Amino acid sequence: METISKPKATRYLNPYIGGVLLGLVLLAANFIAGRGLGASGAIKSVVVATTQTVAPGYAEHAKFFKEYKEEHSGSPMKNWLVFQMLGVVVGGFVSGALAGRLKFKVEHSPKITSRRRLVFALLGGIFFGIGSQLGRGCTSGSALSGMAVLSFGGIITMMAIFGGAYALAYFFRRNWI
Amino acid sequence: MKEELIISGRMNPMVDPVLNIWHWQIPLYLFLGGVAAGILFFASLYFIMGREKKYPAAIKWAPLLTPFLLVLGLAALFLDLNHKTFFWQLYLTIRLESPMSWGAWTLMVITPLSIIWSATWLKELIPGWHWKYPFLDQWEAWFIRHRLILAWIMLISAVILGVYTGILLSAFNARPLWNTSILGPLFFASSLSTGAAVIMLMAKSHLERNIFSRIDLMMIGIELFLIVHMFMGFQASTQVQIDAANMFLGGPYTEVFWIFVVFIGLLVPAILEALELLGYKIPIIITSTLVLTGGLFLRFIIVYAGQASRYLY
Repeated sequence: METISKPKATRYLNPYIGGVLLGLVLLAANFIAGRGLGASGAIKSVVVATTQTVAPGYAEHAKFFKEYKEEHSGSPMKNWLVFQMLGVVVGGFVSGALAGRLKFKVEHSPKITSRRRLVFALLGGIFFGIGSQLGRGCTSGSALSGMAVLSFGGIITMMAIFGGAYALAYFFRRNWI
Repeated sequence: MKEELIISGRMNPMVDPVLNIWHWQIPLYLFLGGVAAGILFFASLYFIMGREKKYPAAIKWAPLLTPFLLVLGLAALFLDLNHKTFFWQLYLTIRLESPMSWGAWTLMVITPLSIIWSATWLKELIPGWHWKYPFLDQWEAWFIRHRLILAWIMLISAVILGVYTGILLSAFNARPLWNTSILGPLFFASSLSTGAAVIMLMAKSHLERNIFSRIDLMMIGIELFLIVHMFMGFQASTQVQIDAANMFLGGPYTEVFWIFVVFIGLLVPAILEALELLGYKIPIIITSTLVLTGGLFLRFIIVYAGQASRYLY
């Protein structure tokens, strides 16, 4: 009991095992739900649902929302990815509890402030959100799930995301090292 | 022009009876009344058992919220009334066969009781608290002497309040989803669970939090048992009951019920409470919020889906 009641705060899974497990999660999702994993799709559903509620007139005519409505029937929130994301939040929370990491904190390099980290995370998130819509999917939806079914688009997405990160990392390295 | 083929008079609007009269006010009241009933139940039960020192959050702190919860709930009920100026006529009659009459009278007993109960603890809880008029001090002393009697009345009326919210719905014979005797116990179990969640949130000692975590876990187990049996009962009944159950088993309420009530409102908090009892550190606010959200969703979904369920098919 002693080990359970005081879990070490740095219990992270080996990344290679984590990668294999993630692959198995993808396999399970394909097998059980017939769908791949995704993250930006859920955000997109939330954005579409919010816009349709707040500004229905705009959502009716703007190209992005019009296309979404033509491609999807029913409520945008009644979507596999939205429910999957809810599961991710719950699963992540339980996993954090099991590893004893449930604390409000901002993880960042000791050389930068929490504020800088949050601003850069927000900026990065916005760029990634725009990019994922231009590229029709994010790391999980397009690259991971796409490559798992040998989609050429998925391979290009993966190369673009990681290639872009390698190319630009030099300019932003001071935020981390 | 949209062409329509009329094959039955039932296709004409308003031929089938549609119940669309209860909106957000009713489920909100059912939830708030349920939470208040749960808190007051534990407060009076543990006071009668003499655990005043052991469980201060349950007996003294959490009841302070109940007058507000009850008044908010009653305000919602009042908003729902069509003839608002006639509400007092509920108190000119007692009808033992009407759940609504039971509810009106129970609220008439438990709302003032919750205020009195809270007031008798104020001096102890808030240092420097004093009443403005001396007669209030005399009343307070009198009520403090008779706290045990207050607790007994409160215990009984809290049980009635918790159960009646479900019975109120099951008394509607014409709505197959509501017309099940399981709703009373289910809503009562949910009100005890949500009440325990509030007490957990306000508890300062580890002991008190732990015991209410256990109680909540037990209540969640009972709720799951009742939900499963409610659907089994529907499935074993006539076609209208099967149709009512199918609204939750593939129909329009499937996702929202199983995800928000059963998964997020019952299973996840149960896992978190079990983990906490095993010694893991879980922020209590998350568990409590999930339980409360689940209870709120349960009331909303049952009230809305019940109005959509019907005898014609």
